[in-house]
Amino acid sequence: MLRFFTIRLLRAAVTLTMVVTFAFLVLIASGDPADIIMGSDAPPEAIEAFRQAWGLDRPIWVQYLSYFSAILSGDLGRSMRDGRDAIVLVAERIPATLALTLPALALKLALGIPAGIYAALHRNSMADRAVMVLAVAGFTIPSFVLGLLLVLVFAVQLGWLPSGGQESWRHAILPVITLGIGGAAVLARFTRSAMLEVLGQPYIRTASAKGVAWRAVVSHHALPNAAIPTVTIIGFMVGSLLAGAVVVESVFSWPGVGRLLVTAVANRDLAVVQCILLLVAATMITANLVVDLLYGLLDPRLRSGKEG
Amino acid sequence: MLPRRTLLAAPTLLAAPALAQGDQRPAITIAVQKISNSNTLEVLREQSNVGERIFRSSLWESLIGRNWQGQLETQPALATQWRRIDDRTVEFDLRDGVRFHDGREMTAEDVVFTFGPERMFGTGEGSGAALFQRAPGTAPQGRELPPEVPAVARRMLPALERVEAVGRHKVRFVNRTPDVTLEGRLSRLGADIMSRAGFEAAGSWLDWARKPIATGPYMVAEFRPDVSLTLVAHDAYWGGRPPLRQIRFVEVPEVASRINMLLSGEAQFACDIPPDQIGAVERNRAFEVQGGTILNHRLMCFDKSHPVLRDARVRRAMTHSIDRQAIVDSLWSGRTVVPRGLQWDYYGEMFLSDWSVPRFDLAEARRLLREANYRGEPIPYRLLNNYYTNQVATAQILVEMWRQAGLNVVIEMRENFSQVFDRSTGQRGVRDWSNSAPFNDPVSSLVNQHGPRGQQQQIGEWTNEEFNRLSDLLETDTDRARRRATFRRMLEIAEREDPAFTVLHQNATFTAKRRDIRWRAAPAFAMDFRAQNWGA
Repeated sequence: MLRFFTIRLLRAAVTLTMVVTFAFLVLIASGDPADIIMGSDAPPEAIEAFRQAWGLDRPIWVQYLSYFSAILSGDLGRSMRDGRDAIVLVAERIPATLALTLPALALKLALGIPAGIYAALHRNSMADRAVMVLAVAGFTIPSFVLGLLLVLVFAVQLGWLPSGGQESWRHAILPVITLGIGGAAVLARFTRSAMLEVLGQPYIRTASAKGVAWRAVVSHHALPNAAIPTVTIIGFMVGSLLAGAVVVESVFSWPGVGRLLVTAVANRDLAVVQCILLLVAATMITANLVVDLLYGLLDPRLRSGKEG
Repeated sequence: MLPRRTLLAAPTLLAAPALAQGDQRPAITIAVQKISNSNTLEVLREQSNVGERIFRSSLWESLIGRNWQGQLETQPALATQWRRIDDRTVEFDLRDGVRFHDGREMTAEDVVFTFGPERMFGTGEGSGAALFQRAPGTAPQGRELPPEVPAVARRMLPALERVEAVGRHKVRFVNRTPDVTLEGRLSRLGADIMSRAGFEAAGSWLDWARKPIATGPYMVAEFRPDVSLTLVAHDAYWGGRPPLRQIRFVEVPEVASRINMLLSGEAQFACDIPPDQIGAVERNRAFEVQGGTILNHRLMCFDKSHPVLRDARVRRAMTHSIDRQAIVDSLWSGRTVVPRGLQWDYYGEMFLSDWSVPRFDLAEARRLLREANYRGEPIPYRLLNNYYTNQVATAQILVEMWRQAGLNVVIEMRENFSQVFDRSTGQRGVRDWSNSAPFNDPVSSLVNQHGPRGQQQQIGEWTNEEFNRLSDLLETDTDRARRRATFRRMLEIAEREDPAFTVLHQNATFTAKRRDIRWRAAPAFAMDFRAQNWGA
């Protein structure tokens, strides 16, 4: 177990270093933050003053080493646009994003898994086809199109719900549905495929032949075995809780991490972008680690390292 | 048919049922693309169009104001009158009874402090070093100014020697050199008056810059950077009780989302409406789109160091190949104009009414290209993806117009201005820009943007010895007739003889609103919500 964690931690460190380095080089090489943050009409002397104050006039490799050593010492830097600690800025936005992504995750699970199971158990029926048509539609419609459609119907035409902002729980309904539908569709497809594969296995036939009730066959034999690929997908969804709502936050003017990321990238606000990327990468790595551990719980063969 | 929500919302705005007991005034919400680029409300840090919208005339005011409901002519504001003592000195009588948002009375001491080192020019050693410098463990608790604030202030008032109080309500501005533009400079965004006590009471510069204590009819209740800005009525406002209880600016980056907020009744105003959406909004008779030209011209800049553009005849040919009116008619639905070069009506006596942009004349363009022996060498056009309204469509039209004259202009997409300016990634050719006129004199645009200290020369795009000499003259000369002649000659050089740029059209901004709200847009980004412009 110790070896397992050590290898995972080393991999995580390499991944994070690559993320930081890649983002730094792309952001610095693609535009001078001083020009971008100060705007095209700023006096040249103001831009120069800004550049000097932030060390942007130094060679790129000096900037990189300086930045990287600061990260190693726990300092994620300050926002060039805002003047405040990047971690504080990002931390302020996390609750808003989780207020969308957590209910959306629950919606994905609540809709996607039962729909996938139902479709698999009624394979080739009208219900199966209907579920799959809806699922294909759900994950092929881009979230910004779906979001705007929902706003048009429920906010503009019917006036039932607000079109954007973050003032109350009602403001979260449309963005949560927008986020949830796409994910639910993906989960439904994966769950159906996994269930169909399991339902075709000999042990399912054996259990049925032994007279085990179909309900028990499904719940005790099919579902646990079909859970592994589904858990993998759910792991990805959990990993993207922090930055999985970039487009939806923009469409619904929701002030979360996603919108902060868009603004920070546009302004080349390096410290803020890096801070978000580090958090997202860390979340993804943690989620994958948890998924790996869950595999062991779901399939004892994986726990003992044997294939059975 | 009106959406039900709109009908339900209608009485809430004009009849204004009071949510706050005893205050019957309405509260409004305005959906904007951006509230503040710098995430501050400090006029010297936020020198932008969006800044002008939230600052003027709601929050900040200067000694000399502008007629937002007229043609932006200057008019008394926090000063009731002013007079020239000599070429270098202007004396102001301050308005009696002006109260800051914290209830204190404005005096000459506040004006002196506003233009002093602590707030504007920096205190010298160490100034600007702490707040924005990324030093591990350094908290942003300092009162030091960000370095760009003194830099902007020095550009705004380059020769200001001192400001002195000569009475409780009288101040003098003394310049080091003669400057006929001093009054104009003191009317521009950045020269607004703040409370000294308010600045000193703030925990840090950043705290103050997010809740400045000024004199406008509305004051800051809450500012959530990148999210919203809530202003509430400043009932002790010298110009009378404000007509609105609350103004809330909400940042909504997407155009469709801003329009949806308006249509669903959640916002009463939606700003930054692109021209191609005006018809869609106005199809619903409950709404209208207001606004129009602003103090900003769209132009194209030439890089004289490009081997082909080094020859002024090629640049002149480019200026003659453009049918500007066709661009205005097709992309702007005719809702803006082709101006008379890089100048604005509000220059007053400095405005050259007989000047014009180079005429659209393909034959002349072809003749100039033949003379220059141009043989179709490619001219790069570094382009941003709609940083300016209609930018890409305009560029595509321009390229075709130039092709008609025989010019081979090649679009190269860039992500930001830094990449547009970059010389290490190939030869620069032409690019887009816009110029504003922060005050009513050509120094504010032609000299500040294209003169020796302006951006175009600083990045090495263009220079002209005579133009530079005249720039200095225009800044210091006090003979008004001679200044007009100097300005004319400078326009001749920069727009015709040795083109530095060519003006395409005046920029415009459009605001969608409920038709039943009686409010008029200013010919500027500023939104006037004072009593004289609401419900009259």
